[in-house]
Amino acid sequence: MITAGIDAGSRAIKIVLYAMERNAVLDSACGDQGIDQQQRTGAMFDRLLEKNKLKRQDLAVTVATGYGRHLLDFCDSTITEITCHAAGVRRHLPDAMTIIDIGGQDSKLIRLGSDGKVRDFAMNDRCAAGTGRFLEVVSERLEVPLEQLGAFAQQSEHPAQISSICVVFAETEIVGLLASGQSPENIVAGVQTSIARRLLAMAGREVESPVVFTGGVAMIPGMKEAIEKMLDKPIATCPQPQLTGALGAAILAAEKKKKQESK
Amino acid sequence: MDCSGKSAGLSRFDRMLENCCQYAVQARQEGKPIVGILCEYTPRELIMAAGAVPVCLCGGSHAMALEGEQDLPVGLCPLIKSTYGYCRAKKNPLLEMADLVVAETTCDGKKKMYELMARRKAMYVLELPQKPDDADAQTHWLRELRKFKEFLESRYTESITDDALRKAIATMNRERGLRRQLAEMMKQPCPPWTGRQLLNYKSIISGIESDLVAYERLTAKARPRAELKDRPRILLTGVPTVHGAEKVVDILENAGGLVVCMENCTGIKPIMEDVDAGAANPLEAIAKKYFYLPCSVMTANRKRIENLRRLTVDYAADCIVDMVWQGCLTYDVESWFVKELADELKLPYLKIVTDYGPSDAERIALRVEALLETAAKTR
Repeated sequence: MITAGIDAGSRAIKIVLYAMERNAVLDSACGDQGIDQQQRTGAMFDRLLEKNKLKRQDLAVTVATGYGRHLLDFCDSTITEITCHAAGVRRHLPDAMTIIDIGGQDSKLIRLGSDGKVRDFAMNDRCAAGTGRFLEVVSERLEVPLEQLGAFAQQSEHPAQISSICVVFAETEIVGLLASGQSPENIVAGVQTSIARRLLAMAGREVESPVVFTGGVAMIPGMKEAIEKMLDKPIATCPQPQLTGALGAAILAAEKKKKQESK
Repeated sequence: MDCSGKSAGLSRFDRMLENCCQYAVQARQEGKPIVGILCEYTPRELIMAAGAVPVCLCGGSHAMALEGEQDLPVGLCPLIKSTYGYCRAKKNPLLEMADLVVAETTCDGKKKMYELMARRKAMYVLELPQKPDDADAQTHWLRELRKFKEFLESRYTESITDDALRKAIATMNRERGLRRQLAEMMKQPCPPWTGRQLLNYKSIISGIESDLVAYERLTAKARPRAELKDRPRILLTGVPTVHGAEKVVDILENAGGLVVCMENCTGIKPIMEDVDAGAANPLEAIAKKYFYLPCSVMTANRKRIENLRRLTVDYAADCIVDMVWQGCLTYDVESWFVKELADELKLPYLKIVTDYGPSDAERIALRVEALLETAAKTR
């Protein structure tokens, strides 16, 4: 039997098809998010199913997660991205005790119990300063492609101090730094440090190892190093970090199906 | 605030504001002054014994918080801004009817707001000491209440007798007892109400006889509701959710949770203890009961943590939600200790910092859903 996990994120849609009996990912897809979420996600879902010679009714259970989860009426149930990320990460790295998830508009720190389940979590409130959106703003403003930000930051000798806790205000701050002659390299390194610092402030107490980094921002070079430096401990990047939420949703869908069958 | 009587036909507490307005109008016709109060530290008994009617005037309206921002900083707590906003816009009929507003030095935001309010309204401010473990603090508080008693005597009546105080104590103890009984019904595995319903079962004017009868009737008519049995049970703590500012309670229960206990000033915090009715000196007994209210303005506020520890057991809580109004520094900092307790008790914990506006409701709902998923697994 096949289950599906759909992560309707703020910036991207991620879908995972999961073969229950083999406990393995059958296929996956990623695409940009838009205003017409339901239609866009549905079309992407159908393309992925067609590629695998499947139809919606062939699926045992479909679980939606991500901030658009309640908008997808073709899914059987919804689970928050917090629980889904935990399930997805656990699949890749069963020993993980802490998950750092930075997505398009959210950053989260999830603590796991020794059973691998969510024990506790913290996430950003209203502002996107500690999230992927911040990096996008910097990338646009400095005309450096997102994927080159890491290499760029490595050339920095003195990361700039970015104090801002607000993305909009930070942009103003960057303009000011450029005007004062700061190099773009130092500014990028400063922004990455600022995101890591915000995360650490959110983490509060002890961050227990092993720490796993996931979410779309984990694919941006340099972020892992910036967080490691701030935490003063090594962190592991989750394989295919952008898909962790969708994978978790598909795994939890499979668990749900098994539970239904055993009743 | 709407006192027009438009919602006639609903149950007594759905018409709470109208009832209170009618009661206040009638009281004034009978020559009883209306006295506004802004915090649970103010002893209602003293005001009642002076022949006046105490009315809680804490603002719960987002629109009035925005009104308050015309004179107050945007980053201030919405409860303070809203209370002041009502005063500024003259939109709270009960405040307009009030002859006097009594307040006390609790948090810095309130304290300074009162100075602005004093430009528009007669104010009396009690100085609240903030070290509950210090014997001198209690003595100081008693002195403050004596001065307040003299003030009320000079303003309203020749003398506030011990008998009048005892009568007021009896009424307030009866009200606290009845409300406590309602709150304690939520200890049952199948409670008779949602937390949101229970939150409505109170009045901003104390000691109205028909309210007390309504509390008795609610208790007598309470029946277990089976559909509430399997919901994750939430202990809500932190700032008060005054009338109109119930958004977090709504989010918690719309997401499938059940708020079984509200350890805050609109919940059980002020009704957990009574005034000693048999005490030789009633004013001393009143001072004692009111001073030991475990608000975060106290240092150290160990009693709140001790109460929470007991309440999680008594109400079989599955998780703790700690609510802080934006700009409320004392509750914001004190969360550290609540979180520490939650960790020790191995209960899922969520802190929500918000204001009266609706814009962050979706973001809060996500965190609440995740909390309930975690709490459901822990059960």
